[in-house]
Amino acid sequence: MTSFNPGAPGDAHHDGASVFGPESEFHRFANDPRWALALIRATVLEAAHPQVGAALIDNSTFVTHPWRRLRNTFLSLQRMFGADDQVREREAARLNRLHARINGADAHEQPYDAMDPGVRAWVVATLFESVVTMCRLSGQPLEQATMERLYAEHQAFLALLGDRSGHLPPTLREFWPYFDRMVAEELENTEALRIILYKLFDHLPAPAVLGDLPTLWAAGRTLAGPVIGAITVASLPEPLRRRAGLPDIPGARTLTQSAYLAMGLARFLPAGWVQTDELVDLLSLTPDSDDPRARTLTAVRDGIKRAGALLRLITPLPPEPGPAPSAGPARSAEEFFHDVLDQTGDGYLDWPDLAAMARELSGRLDLDEPKETRLYNAFADWWRELQASLDADGDGRISKAEYAAAVPSLAGPALIKVAEVLFDAADSDGNQSIDEQEYRALFRTGFRRSMTDTGATYSRSAFVKDFVSFMSGRQRSSAYDPLLAEA
Amino acid sequence: MKVEQAHGGSSSSPVPFGPRRPAGEGRDGRVPRHVACVMDGNGRWAAQRSLPRTSGHTAAEATVIDVIEAARAAGVEWLSLYAFSTENWSRPSGEVDFLMHLVRRVVRKHAPLLHARGIRCRFLGVSDARIPAPLAQDFADLMTLTGANRGMTLTVAFDHGGRSDIVEAARSLIRAGVPAEALDEQVFAAHLPFPDTPDVDLVIRTSGEQRISNFMLWQVAYAEWMFPPVLWPDFRATHFAECVHTYQQRDRRFGGVAPHANGDLRP
Repeated sequence: MTSFNPGAPGDAHHDGASVFGPESEFHRFANDPRWALALIRATVLEAAHPQVGAALIDNSTFVTHPWRRLRNTFLSLQRMFGADDQVREREAARLNRLHARINGADAHEQPYDAMDPGVRAWVVATLFESVVTMCRLSGQPLEQATMERLYAEHQAFLALLGDRSGHLPPTLREFWPYFDRMVAEELENTEALRIILYKLFDHLPAPAVLGDLPTLWAAGRTLAGPVIGAITVASLPEPLRRRAGLPDIPGARTLTQSAYLAMGLARFLPAGWVQTDELVDLLSLTPDSDDPRARTLTAVRDGIKRAGALLRLITPLPPEPGPAPSAGPARSAEEFFHDVLDQTGDGYLDWPDLAAMARELSGRLDLDEPKETRLYNAFADWWRELQASLDADGDGRISKAEYAAAVPSLAGPALIKVAEVLFDAADSDGNQSIDEQEYRALFRTGFRRSMTDTGATYSRSAFVKDFVSFMSGRQRSSAYDPLLAEA
Repeated sequence: MKVEQAHGGSSSSPVPFGPRRPAGEGRDGRVPRHVACVMDGNGRWAAQRSLPRTSGHTAAEATVIDVIEAARAAGVEWLSLYAFSTENWSRPSGEVDFLMHLVRRVVRKHAPLLHARGIRCRFLGVSDARIPAPLAQDFADLMTLTGANRGMTLTVAFDHGGRSDIVEAARSLIRAGVPAEALDEQVFAAHLPFPDTPDVDLVIRTSGEQRISNFMLWQVAYAEWMFPPVLWPDFRATHFAECVHTYQQRDRRFGGVAPHANGDLRP
């Protein structure tokens, strides 16, 4: 056991360095391919918690934008467990601000609050327990000392989140009864749980790199989706499976163990073959970005597309007509609503949708206070403007039909304000123009060639114009589409 | 090759104003960069033979392939063919249906060949919902297949109207919020469909008809026009070579003013 005393959260800031960093147990597991399965399992356990489940349903974009969400989560964990104390404290503050904005009431009027200490403790508990289970299932159970170090790291992680961070039991011995009690008494068959298990894997949208190959993706998903689902279900604690009415698929247990074992063996591949961060980066890569890997991928993808086109062209004519392809620079109101505005994918435009945009933007720009609050406030004003002008039936949210009927009135002063605040936020050096580096922070890609021609900066008026025309004119945009529309 | 006979009255005097091309490339031997063909006369060709109009369209296929080869051989970089105008929808529905099937068959038949020849194919227009979905899919596939080719660019104007292209560009400009003062010809051209297409140098309209018929209105501003009397199904590589030769005799002046080069990418 380390000298770190998890009972006193204040100490974490000073003792953090001894717990985190590249030497930590966490780092060992984060580069383990099995960790992906463990992370899915942890998410399912989180979602089964009524409060977390309600918060996910209302606010999270994990169904519509799972890859973006995955990257953000991974990046955040890396910062929290990284070597740099300053980065860690900033990230903790950012997480706190982000979670402070997530609260409300679920469908049964039960309140939820992402700052609730019990809830936060449970989230960290699932992360820890899933790593332990991951090792157990793959036939390499952790030694007691390793497990205790790992537990201490997770306690320190929670403690870093501050005063209201919640409490895990002080020792590992007390953790297991706590975990069992939570599973037996608190967890439920929540809607979020059902969505993750039954909907997410069947309808997982293709990551942007494979976005143009829907057939290929669908074929792979048909096979992999149910397998991942079965593996995850079989690895859940028995009481939860009983309560949630999850099936006991014959052989699933063996399948689970084999899967964990097989993925565990990947650790013996040469170093550099398995790099979780590389993989996560790749999955959230946009094919059009100027990343060198994107170029290779784009070349491969184009080759496949050309081969597919040739195949279709030389196939003898089928008698029945195929589906009509839809292409063009502008999209219909319905498409825009679905692709961009409805971030949570519930079919309505509501505050959490705009909050998700603000969250993604401030995450990308790595904003601190008070810029982050300004951005959120601008989005909130825009939401009020939208609500006032579009919510025809007065139910507090905007349906697709209401949006489509009133599209022209979308570019109000509040939207322009959002654009201006976003410009201020993106213009980190405050010189009233966005240079190459600032542009890259926001869009993860360099200037387009056309922009470099006109001088290597992006002026306030041009930025505001582009943003407003994307948000109201429904114009496709090579910059904003990867940011807000893709998975 | 030296100019033997002057064609028209204007070519005997030396070029007084700056032409578009560098001074080194004089009139002689200059191959038109962008040639466009209005494929006219299929119906009359069939009528002369007491055949149904549709057989005239079928006979046009051979000419299309011939002309593509001739253009490639002559060193033309851009070839545009006017296959079907937005006004052609008003033809009898039987003929329209037949044309759609014919085009689909031709596209599929020649796709591998076009690709093997390194020709980049594009379809200008193709926005009407009346175009059958499988045909639109074939167009998209052919564009995907040949999109990276670096040989000649073949633009097939299908369901095309020059005015509607200009209207489309105006729409795009308004959507992009370009201020009135910032708009000039170059900016406007960048919003046309396929903005990298250069100005047309030579238009060949077969069958002796002398009309523009709403064809690539913006791009033909300074084009030389030829109206060979031969009907399109009878038009052959030799006719094409003749037209190019005649073009090389002509003295292009661009109204004495070098126009903005079309085909710059959208800003």
